[in-house]
Amino acid sequence: MTERTFNRVSPLQDVAVQGRFGADRGAVGVSFTVRHPMSIITVIARAGQGAATAEALKGYDAQWAGPDQWFVLAEGRGEGALYRELKSKLSGLASVSDQSHGRVIIRIAGTKARAVLAKGTPVDLHADVFPAGKSALTQMAHVGVHLTRVDADTYDLSVFRGFSESFWEWITEQAEEFGYQVI
Amino acid sequence: MLIPCPHCGTRPVEEFTFLGDAAPTRPTTNDPSSMEAWYEYVYLRNNPRGTIDEYAHHSGGCRAWLVVQRNTETHEVYGAVTARAFASRKEAVAKGEQA
Repeated sequence: MTERTFNRVSPLQDVAVQGRFGADRGAVGVSFTVRHPMSIITVIARAGQGAATAEALKGYDAQWAGPDQWFVLAEGRGEGALYRELKSKLSGLASVSDQSHGRVIIRIAGTKARAVLAKGTPVDLHADVFPAGKSALTQMAHVGVHLTRVDADTYDLSVFRGFSESFWEWITEQAEEFGYQVI
Repeated sequence: MLIPCPHCGTRPVEEFTFLGDAAPTRPTTNDPSSMEAWYEYVYLRNNPRGTIDEYAHHSGGCRAWLVVQRNTETHEVYGAVTARAFASRKEAVAKGEQA
């Protein structure tokens, strides 16, 4: 039998068209990037193993995703590689599941990024309480969003794949008044 | 109405799904003599004017079950604890009453 390999296609491939949109004077307020392809793994610590799991995840790009729960991310790793690695490493400590195909991460960056997000989320995004590296679970436009601050003006928004197109249309509309670029 | 989630911080009520009164305690036995207790647990609810503890699921956030204490008269929210912490507190109180 011939071995077939399938290319992973971003669910936003036909929607996230490159270019500049919205207000067309001056510098753009924000830019959007679809981070793809990503390895996204959900880690949920077993009862009483929260601290041990957090310790074992040191060195990984692990983002808080609820009490004793994390999203572990990696770019440029082969299909399922990170899942298999964590599965064996966290054996007995935590339940691990591969969400790489289930979620889409949209990166929003720019001086107006906070202003765009503030239209949708009640989370306080002031740097004193929401510094770089911090994550929050919230809702924007009725869609569950895992929000992470990457640096002062950059945020990652992780949403379920099935909601990603609707979410993309909503968030780009919010950015129109500032002018936005899709990279 | 703002609810202080112990995991996420202060969030609006729109992110939460309410289940109802957290006061009834589930009977621990199926013994026929406990049918009266089951009937009470399943069907009978107080409708207090004042302070009430209610189960709330933070469905739009950390997805944890909480117990929110609020005032039905003034809509003031006094606080929120995890359902687990609430259950162990209730258990401790029940044990204290028995002793």
